[in-house]
Amino acid sequence: MEKQSVPVHLDQVTKIFRDPKTKSDVHAVRDARLEISGGELVTLLGPSGCGKTTMLRMIGGFELPTRGTIHIGGEDVTYLPPNTRATATVFQSYGLFPHLDVFENVAYGLKVRKVSKEEIGFRVMEALGLVGLSDLARRSPGRLSGGQQQRVALARSLVVRPQVLLLDEPLSNLDALLREQMRVEIRRIQKSLGITAIYVTHDRVEAMSLSDRVVVMKAGVIRQVGTPSAIYERPDSKFVAGFVGKVAFFPVEVQSTDGAITCVLAGATVRAGSMAPDVTVGSKALLMARPESLRLGNPGEGACDGTVATNVYLGSSVESFVTTEYGEILVQIDDPSESRVKPEGAKVSIAFDEARVRILPEAEE
Amino acid sequence: MPVFTKKKLFAFIAACAVFLIIDLWMFSALRTSYEKSVLGDKKELVVALARSAPVEAGTVEAWLAEAKKAHPGLRLLHVQGIPGAEETKESSLDPELKAVWDQRQGEPAFKSGVEAASYLEVFLLPDTVRLGTSRSLVMFAPVPNKEGDTAVGILLAAVDESILSSFVNLTYALSAIAFLLFALGFGIATFSRDPITGYAILVLFAIVLTFVAYPLFEALRLTFVHEGRFSFAVWRDILTNKQYLGALVGSVKLGALTATLSTIMGFLFAFFVARTSLKGKKLVTALATLPVISPPFSLTLSIILLFGNNGLITKRLLGLEHFSIYGLGGLGLVQTISMFPIAFLTLAGVLEAIDSTLEDASLDLNASRWQTFTRVTLPLAAPGLLSSWLLVFTNSLADFANPLLLSGSFRVLSVESYIEVTGMNRLGNGAALSILLLLPTLTAFFVQRAWVAKKSFVVVTGKPSMRLSDLANRPTRLFLLAFVVLSSAFIVALYGTIVAGCFVKNWGIDYTFTTANIVEALQRGKAALVSTMTLAGIATPIAGFVAMIGAVLVVRKRFPGKRILEALMMTPFAVPGTLVGISYILAFNKPPLLLVGTGAILVICYVIRELPVGLEGGVATLRQIDPSIEEAASDLGADQATVFRTIILPLIRPAFISSMSYTFVRSMTAVSAIIFLISARWYHITIQIYNFSENIRFGLASVLATALIIIVLAVFGLMRVVVRKSEHLEKTVTIQ
Ligand SMILES: Nc1ncnc2c1ncn2[C@@H]1O[C@H](COP(=O)(O)OP(=O)(O)OP(=O)(O)O)[C@@H](O)[C@H]1O
Ligand SMILES: [Mg+2]
Repeated sequence: MEKQSVPVHLDQVTKIFRDPKTKSDVHAVRDARLEISGGELVTLLGPSGCGKTTMLRMIGGFELPTRGTIHIGGEDVTYLPPNTRATATVFQSYGLFPHLDVFENVAYGLKVRKVSKEEIGFRVMEALGLVGLSDLARRSPGRLSGGQQQRVALARSLVVRPQVLLLDEPLSNLDALLREQMRVEIRRIQKSLGITAIYVTHDRVEAMSLSDRVVVMKAGVIRQVGTPSAIYERPDSKFVAGFVGKVAFFPVEVQSTDGAITCVLAGATVRAGSMAPDVTVGSKALLMARPESLRLGNPGEGACDGTVATNVYLGSSVESFVTTEYGEILVQIDDPSESRVKPEGAKVSIAFDEARVRILPEAEE
Repeated sequence: MPVFTKKKLFAFIAACAVFLIIDLWMFSALRTSYEKSVLGDKKELVVALARSAPVEAGTVEAWLAEAKKAHPGLRLLHVQGIPGAEETKESSLDPELKAVWDQRQGEPAFKSGVEAASYLEVFLLPDTVRLGTSRSLVMFAPVPNKEGDTAVGILLAAVDESILSSFVNLTYALSAIAFLLFALGFGIATFSRDPITGYAILVLFAIVLTFVAYPLFEALRLTFVHEGRFSFAVWRDILTNKQYLGALVGSVKLGALTATLSTIMGFLFAFFVARTSLKGKKLVTALATLPVISPPFSLTLSIILLFGNNGLITKRLLGLEHFSIYGLGGLGLVQTISMFPIAFLTLAGVLEAIDSTLEDASLDLNASRWQTFTRVTLPLAAPGLLSSWLLVFTNSLADFANPLLLSGSFRVLSVESYIEVTGMNRLGNGAALSILLLLPTLTAFFVQRAWVAKKSFVVVTGKPSMRLSDLANRPTRLFLLAFVVLSSAFIVALYGTIVAGCFVKNWGIDYTFTTANIVEALQRGKAALVSTMTLAGIATPIAGFVAMIGAVLVVRKRFPGKRILEALMMTPFAVPGTLVGISYILAFNKPPLLLVGTGAILVICYVIRELPVGLEGGVATLRQIDPSIEEAASDLGADQATVFRTIILPLIRPAFISSMSYTFVRSMTAVSAIIFLISARWYHITIQIYNFSENIRFGLASVLATALIIIVLAVFGLMRVVVRKSEHLEKTVTIQ
């Protein structure tokens, strides 16, 4: 299959649903602006009901935006019906045709395109081989396991050689092991074919491990777009920081931002490695720390004191939950040995790895 | 959300231009032909008047006064003698016309008028003439002598031009409306993202507006028209006439009787099947549903054979002389047997859905079985009882076939409206009576919606409980068993009687065995049978497709006017067949849609009447299908028509097939609407049965009824086989 990488651009895309009963408007997506380059895999990540599916469906042509435009490969496709777009969707519920067998399901798109019979046979078997289902070609989809159905759906979308692949929580029905395998498989296929892919999920691990960039959404608004590490290490808001990983927050006042970034926590000056763009000097802010950037010490040594509430042993690490005046704070202790893990009930202090903590604006709507 | 491209815009403008030309041409042709006919009428009138004009002087004034009285719209001027050739004397009762004549008789136009009249021709002034405040058309007609070969005078006649202009304005308005509708519809279809859906919506709208809304409107309109103008005369007549009111009361009485009996019988059957552990439930269910699909007249026929004036039981076995089955009692009996299955099916569903652990709990709390039944089971079933009562009630009101044969001197609305139309030729009264029939039906419908829907607290647990506590004690069980067995036996006997009727020489008088009936009935009924099957066969696929496309639009599409479309498609469900029939002859017995007498109107009638049932079936099936299946097909490049053909139709095949077989059977067995619409060329088998029965040829009627029963059973049997083949779908459709 030839490589064809096309960009996808969303400009000020808004979708408002009208609830017919209450006559109230639901803003499923608000002013979304997103530029996805060709061959990139982008995940849409966010809590349930934040508008991920709606955004994907607008790109696929199943919903029309209330406002805004969508371009695929430079062409305005905002109002084109799905059958004329170069997209292929893997639906959350698969949408397999129950009256056709696996082979016919995969062949459907080619038949509609009036591809010759031999070529259909060849390409369908190739696609089924790609997802490892060659020997199930004559099964009816009703007699396949969830994982097999999902792979049929994937093969059916890939066989028409889409320029953009849209996936709506395709792995949500699978068990953990199969999910991991399929994730790797999808990534491999996407890369080797050079397809632009948009992947919806509410599983942050999936988003982190899979994508070139992550789009974090909340209540219809795109809150941040960035590489997985940027999103994890340098979130711009409390919501994003909390949504993509475990985190502790400390209320601080920003002291200086040029040169060294410093802030005041409970009267003491603390340095931070970075800060979000919209933090101003003198304002109240939050100091954000990931569990792995915190250390336990003796009382009085660190930035704040507390008592160890529980220790959770995870093998390669231990998670210590410490009760402090800022609430319960999680400290991750890598390479745990008897000396580094404090017993439950022990008085401890918490110290920061200053290069890795970040200052975020306090305001959270 | 519209999509505008240059190409589409161009196509749209071109289509609009073409339509505009055709539109204008059609309406101008219409106008011209109308003007011609109106003017022709007036000309004839004026010529006739002129011919009757007196030649002798002195009588002219009196004649003019009389003519004015007879034709108030005409202004006349009588000229004695031909101007220019001899001495003339003008007389007129209209000073304005006289003034115009005096003033303008020298003008060339007037001169040519005079000249034409002198050659015994009629002449119309090319321009209108102002008379007082309005303009008039002026005609010159010759007043001939006694022999009729020379003109001895001229009659000038002026008519107000509004007789033309009002119609001209109407045609302009109509052509503008036609153009706007076209532009709107075509525009929506062209510029919407999904033109195929757009066209489907337009076509369905056109169908229901033409064949549902328009005829009903015509029927309603006619009830408010008396001698050409708006009036309440028809309704005043209907609502004060004892005979009509008697029919209304009769219908309601019969409905209440049938509904009550059917609900009791249906409840006993349903209790037997759903709530006891007695054997033979399958057989009872099959028997109890049989009357639903039995052709009209068949049960009535066997009741007449058994209990009629020459009935086997009444006359032969009991020797009764003055017993009459005709009337309320007999009707109640027949209707109960043919309609209790409705109650049975409703109530069996309700009783099966009641979680029997509730009853167990009651028994557990030391309530007696009777207490449990009256305090738990019955209240839970109450909404079901009411809704089954209402359902049977409306069905009984709309019933036409049974009363037609069996009502005797007892009057019901459906038959009364039929007699008004076909016997008395009072279409307005017939329409009003059948509209009256709609009122109880609508009331029942709204009671159902408002009360039953709210009070419905049947507990559906999803897992039917395996073990039923037997609420019935031994005597009750015995009573139930006896009742069910006896009723079933009676139903079987009724069908047996029809079959027996085929082989009896002259029922009631001569019971010798013969096969002559079969030969004669098939010979005489062949044409009707063939034409019925042909038309039903044509209607079947059309109804199936229309219903399924309608279902897709209702379930899957969003578009303005959807609720109106849905309501119009469901309307025939509530409209009694007699009203459909009457409204169709009113609407389609005149241009532009002159359909009465053709086979097409029967086909249309079948399709429209069965549309709601097919639609409901399609909607129910489609709702169970995950929409992402269709979206996936569309995503893979299929347009809407391909999605419908390759995905939707195969998936809703069970609904599609059952809708089609239902249409076929119902069309074959239709009576109430089509009795108004049949013609000698396109006759109907059921009407043939009716005619045979009316002429006391019960043997022939039995043969045709039996043939119809066989066809119906065969179609349903075939349907079950075909649907079972696609049963694997039902399991996989909802897999996710
Ligand atoms: N057809 C619709 N009509 C009305 N509201 C809708 C419709 N579809 C979605 N919504 C609303 O829009 C919002 C976004 O829905 P969407 O399905 O995009 O969420 P999501 O992010 O995909 O959630 P999930 O993770 O649960 O799938 C929700 O509040 C939802 O209720
Ligand atoms: Mg979703």
